[in-house]
Amino acid sequence: MRRVLKLATAGAAATLVLAACGEAPSEEETTAGGGENAESSEDGEAAGGDAGDFKACMVSDSGGFDDQSFNQSGKEGLDAAAEELGIEPVEVESQADTDYATNVSNLVSQGCNITIGVGFLLEDAIQAAAEENPDTNFALIDSAFSDADFNPVELDNAKPILFNTAEASYLAGYLAAGMSESGTVATFGGLQIPSVSVFMDGFADGVDKFNEDNGTDVNLLGWDKEAQEGAFSGDFENQSQGQTLTEQFISQGADIVMPVAGPVGLGAAAAASEADGVHIIWVDSDGYLTASEYSDLMLTSVMKEIGAAVETTVSEAVDGGFTNEPYVGTLENDGVGLAEYHDMAGDVEGMMVTGPDGAEMSLDEAVAMLEEMVVSGEITVESPNSPQQ
Amino acid sequence: MNEQNRPDAGEEQSVAATPPAEAGSETGGPTVREQERPGVLQQILGGSALMSVLAVVLALFIGGLLIAFADEDTREAATYFFARPFDTISAGLSAMAEAYVAMFRGSVFDWQAATFAGMVNPLTESMVFAVPLILAGLGIAVGFRAGLFNIGAQGQIIVGAIGAAWLGFAFDLPPVIHLLAAILGGAIGGAVWGGIPGVLKARFGANEVIVTIMLNYIAVYLISYILKQPGFNPGRTGQRSPAVSPDATYPLLVPQWLWPDNGFRLHWGFVVAILATVFVWWLMERSTVGFQIRAVGANPAAARTAGMSVGRITIITMVVAGALAGLAATGQVLGTERSLTAGVAASFGFDAITVALLGRSRPWGTFFAGILFGALKAGGFLMQSLTSTPIDIVLVVQSLIVLFIAAPPLVRSVFRLPDPDRRRRRKADTRTTQEATA
Amino acid sequence: MKLELQGITKVFGSLVANDHIDLVVEPGEIHALLGENGAGKSTLMNVLYGLYDPDDGQILLDGAPATFRGPGDAVSAGIGMVHQHFMLVPVFTVAESVALGYEPTGAGGVLRLEEARRRVREISDRFGFQVDPDARIEDLPVGVQQRVEIIKALSRDAQVLILDEPTAVLTPQETDELIRIMRELKESGTSIVFITHKLREVRAIADRITVIRRGRVVGEASPTSTETELASLMVGRSVSLTVDKEPAQPGEATFEVEGLSVVAPTGTVLVDDISFDVRAGEILCVAGVQGNGQTELAEVILGIEQADSGSVRLDGKDILGTGVKERLRSGIGFVPEDRSTDGVVSSFSIAENLVLDLYDTPPFARGVSMSPAKVTANAEQRTEEFDVRHTSVHDPISTLSGGNAQKVVLAREMSRPLRLLVASQPTRGLDVGSIEFVHGRVVAERDRGTPVIIVSTELDEVLGLADRIAVMYRGRIVGIVDAVGEDGTPVSRDVLGLMMAGVPLEDAQQQAAQHRSVLGAADLGEEQA
Repeated sequence: MRRVLKLATAGAAATLVLAACGEAPSEEETTAGGGENAESSEDGEAAGGDAGDFKACMVSDSGGFDDQSFNQSGKEGLDAAAEELGIEPVEVESQADTDYATNVSNLVSQGCNITIGVGFLLEDAIQAAAEENPDTNFALIDSAFSDADFNPVELDNAKPILFNTAEASYLAGYLAAGMSESGTVATFGGLQIPSVSVFMDGFADGVDKFNEDNGTDVNLLGWDKEAQEGAFSGDFENQSQGQTLTEQFISQGADIVMPVAGPVGLGAAAAASEADGVHIIWVDSDGYLTASEYSDLMLTSVMKEIGAAVETTVSEAVDGGFTNEPYVGTLENDGVGLAEYHDMAGDVEGMMVTGPDGAEMSLDEAVAMLEEMVVSGEITVESPNSPQQ
Repeated sequence: MNEQNRPDAGEEQSVAATPPAEAGSETGGPTVREQERPGVLQQILGGSALMSVLAVVLALFIGGLLIAFADEDTREAATYFFARPFDTISAGLSAMAEAYVAMFRGSVFDWQAATFAGMVNPLTESMVFAVPLILAGLGIAVGFRAGLFNIGAQGQIIVGAIGAAWLGFAFDLPPVIHLLAAILGGAIGGAVWGGIPGVLKARFGANEVIVTIMLNYIAVYLISYILKQPGFNPGRTGQRSPAVSPDATYPLLVPQWLWPDNGFRLHWGFVVAILATVFVWWLMERSTVGFQIRAVGANPAAARTAGMSVGRITIITMVVAGALAGLAATGQVLGTERSLTAGVAASFGFDAITVALLGRSRPWGTFFAGILFGALKAGGFLMQSLTSTPIDIVLVVQSLIVLFIAAPPLVRSVFRLPDPDRRRRRKADTRTTQEATA
Repeated sequence: MKLELQGITKVFGSLVANDHIDLVVEPGEIHALLGENGAGKSTLMNVLYGLYDPDDGQILLDGAPATFRGPGDAVSAGIGMVHQHFMLVPVFTVAESVALGYEPTGAGGVLRLEEARRRVREISDRFGFQVDPDARIEDLPVGVQQRVEIIKALSRDAQVLILDEPTAVLTPQETDELIRIMRELKESGTSIVFITHKLREVRAIADRITVIRRGRVVGEASPTSTETELASLMVGRSVSLTVDKEPAQPGEATFEVEGLSVVAPTGTVLVDDISFDVRAGEILCVAGVQGNGQTELAEVILGIEQADSGSVRLDGKDILGTGVKERLRSGIGFVPEDRSTDGVVSSFSIAENLVLDLYDTPPFARGVSMSPAKVTANAEQRTEEFDVRHTSVHDPISTLSGGNAQKVVLAREMSRPLRLLVASQPTRGLDVGSIEFVHGRVVAERDRGTPVIIVSTELDEVLGLADRIAVMYRGRIVGIVDAVGEDGTPVSRDVLGLMMAGVPLEDAQQQAAQHRSVLGAADLGEEQA
């Protein structure tokens, strides 16, 4: 064993030697800061109330928390809530579908006051745990609950957090059709599940709406809303699959692509960066910021404010105001929306189109007008995949 | 089929340029050429249980170092390492200890649980996760013993899962029979998927590594296709089949009437794993089929010369391996998940390769390796949620175990153990010399 | 360069492989190191080549002590080694093989193959090697590959050349050629250490002979010693070099081969329309240089190889078309040419190897369930009967020496009631004691009235065992001769050697009368002595 220690010490020394010359903190500080529990309870007291004892927990799906997509947004929401409320967050990653049940039940037995599952795939695990532990609260992002025969059910202690992303992607579809020079845009999904297809439905309708207003014939590849059929990469992990799909779209003339597949979108961006004048519409979070290596390709992003929703849900739970009522993010409540255009703002503002009211206007104005019409209810974006309210 | 045996005169002679085990190579003194390396597989399978244990210990130790480095307190303390080195070391040690204590609590015994059932629950969880690992590991092990690198357990599990689930939800049979039928369906599904590369290898010489890897892909797309078919897709999600009929699921091993409120997920699949282990032991060590499998694996040429059909044994081996992997699927489909999901196979098929290697392809070795990996998996959950240690550490530890098993000399040098091969050679030498003079 | 080894001792655990060995090799001398397998010859040479550290003693080169930390040191000190199994890459050319390890490079590390080619040509011309630098190793016959190894050593300026069992893989004619090369080298001042256990060669070539037994030098001998003297020195007791056997009492021809042909998938004819028969109670030796179809002939008889035409009849029944298992169980005993590849499963125990053929028949198995007790009992009995020296029948067979492993193969193959025994190279790589035993068993089987086919490339063995000799060349039988002529004189070694090169019997007899080969001459010397 001596040799092992020798090796290990050598390795440790080598790794740390550059950073290791800092000054030691004063003795009191170290003692005060020792022990994780002490630290958190201290913070909790500082925040006041009994929030310090509150444990808010989250389980990712197999994509992991670093997916630059909805798992990450969820984690950020929980972290923000924890910071603000001084509660203890516990975040657990799943590596495979078979891990969900164990992860959720572990968190429950650890005393989590609220356990949030990120993603449709955790439905069964959250539902089972909610039924077994009626005194604890749960939330599930991106899916409602259903019974064994897939009929919707309501649980007293579990809140679905849903997003009508069709509304926002409707705007994105309109924008994409307006910006496309080749007259062809494309989208693809990760898996054909409602929370993915709903983006693609809205996008398709948005493209149609633009064609209708402007008498153009912008073509959409990768999704047929009527038939509910289209292109899917097969999972939320395989970036090269996303790259291949996007290359095919580009070779068929697409110059704007919206990947609805979490990290697989990075593959799409990689393919776009190889081609000239191809842009990406990111989803879930603002890709200009989260996928910053491709920020110059980002036309906009269809935002799903998961973080805000999580934060709201958690703070409600801390305040004792937890309800099982589904949260549905819409354009109206800012639960979904388009991100800024960032570097593309000039191009979007400079593009003159016929707006939804038939008048000549710049594309950004047209999109803004369209958004108002959706919020006011003048236009309803319909999708079979939209969350049922 | 007989290419190797049909060289023309020139080729025949040139064969001697590569050093085959020829005339003098097995006789006499310790010459250099006698140290010709045995095949990697032979070398790994020939290792001792001690080496397996040491590999695990070493992997856990290095995993512990990584945990320490990943720990924020440790890194913070490291910034003033030279001012107060002890801070760094103690922070690192406590991070390591906390993580492994959590892992122990999550996999063996949780003394902080409220009830005794809760305390032993972690052990039952380890056993639950061990079921598919043991069964698929046994399948891989049988293949290894026959000299076949069966990388296809993943695909065999998937197809087995499809078979078991379909029989489980689409039919209505009497209780016990329904379960047996579903189990059999899983085994047959896996056997078919394992048999394909077996037949291709036996008949056409197709390399089983390539074929099984490709069949894994086919199985992955097959299951996602099947999950979109109307009968399998009631929720129209393409992710989950109807639930398996309760008659066709494994009953809980510790029923509620025996121990109320135990909450264990441990099911009869574990008994199936034990029975399969006993069966594989008997098959390999006591049956004529196993004798042939081992002979073909160790030396196909000699097996053929002794009248065995190498092709037939290859097919039998792959069918058995596939059936075992199919049984592994029943642990999921009929045990824990109770329906067919796209990710039902997780990465069990690949982890099983590690399990078989760690178990040296011996039935009981594989059994205990499966339990260990089940424990790593079960313990990893609590380790992550309690100490925020990245779950990937568990993967790293598993990978390190494989690494160390594949490199026995490394482990030996770390623990300063002598080389067993050399000892054996010397023994042989002694005998030869005595004989020459006898 | 004068090479001296003083008091070299090498210990492996409890085994003293080399016990204070002294050896002096004078410049320009062919020094034979004679000893049985396992006597410690190779250990000594590996010490000399820097592969092992001696535990005691020292190496002197021209009187100056030298330490070798690895083969690199030995090579740069002028010591070259040609291993029994060549260290060549089959797909390399000769020049590339020779360059391997000391690659001559030009600017920027570019391999200057032209330089290597030039050296190969130069050395080849100087010693008359006739090696084409651009030929690929895998296309070369074994004898030429060996010359490549020698060139490799010489190109690194070796002054002492160690040849480890160099004739084991050569034909008589190739051996002649090697002897010529060794003499050329000697003329040019290169010393040669020649490791062997073949007495005839030693007497034909060596200037001095050192005999090693049990890791010790047991004596020096001069090339004029008789083979019997050398053998006694080597083995430590008097040995019989000839096979003791009564004249054969052949019965009916129970095994017949007619018009048999084997064609490789590539179209090469491996066995070309051969016919012969073997009578009950007779040994037919199939002689020939390795790779002339004997291997395939033996394999067709067992059924591992498929015949393309012709018939093979055992007791009147054509056995072609039946499987290996059926043939074995119908009474064919088969001792394969390559014991470790085809004969035994080296990781299996002795007991398991003894039932490799009958594992699924009673009493070893009932149904699919085997009976370990019966397997063990069988092993105890067989090892006793065949004098297999072992510790436990449950030890892997790889712990046995070659001779004992071959006894296990014989014990297994002779455990069934035999109607035919086919043995390929049954004594290859065995020590003198084991050879005696194997030959005795084969003769005993003959005397029991079994037809026996021995395939051998060793003329000594052929001459010792055979009642009749069939010589094969390029898949054909050149001729079949009686081992002992009607006048009672044995067939001449030179005649067989010529037939092995494809010369028909009568021409061979004429040519043999005019020209004697080196070893053939040594033969005569033996007779005169």
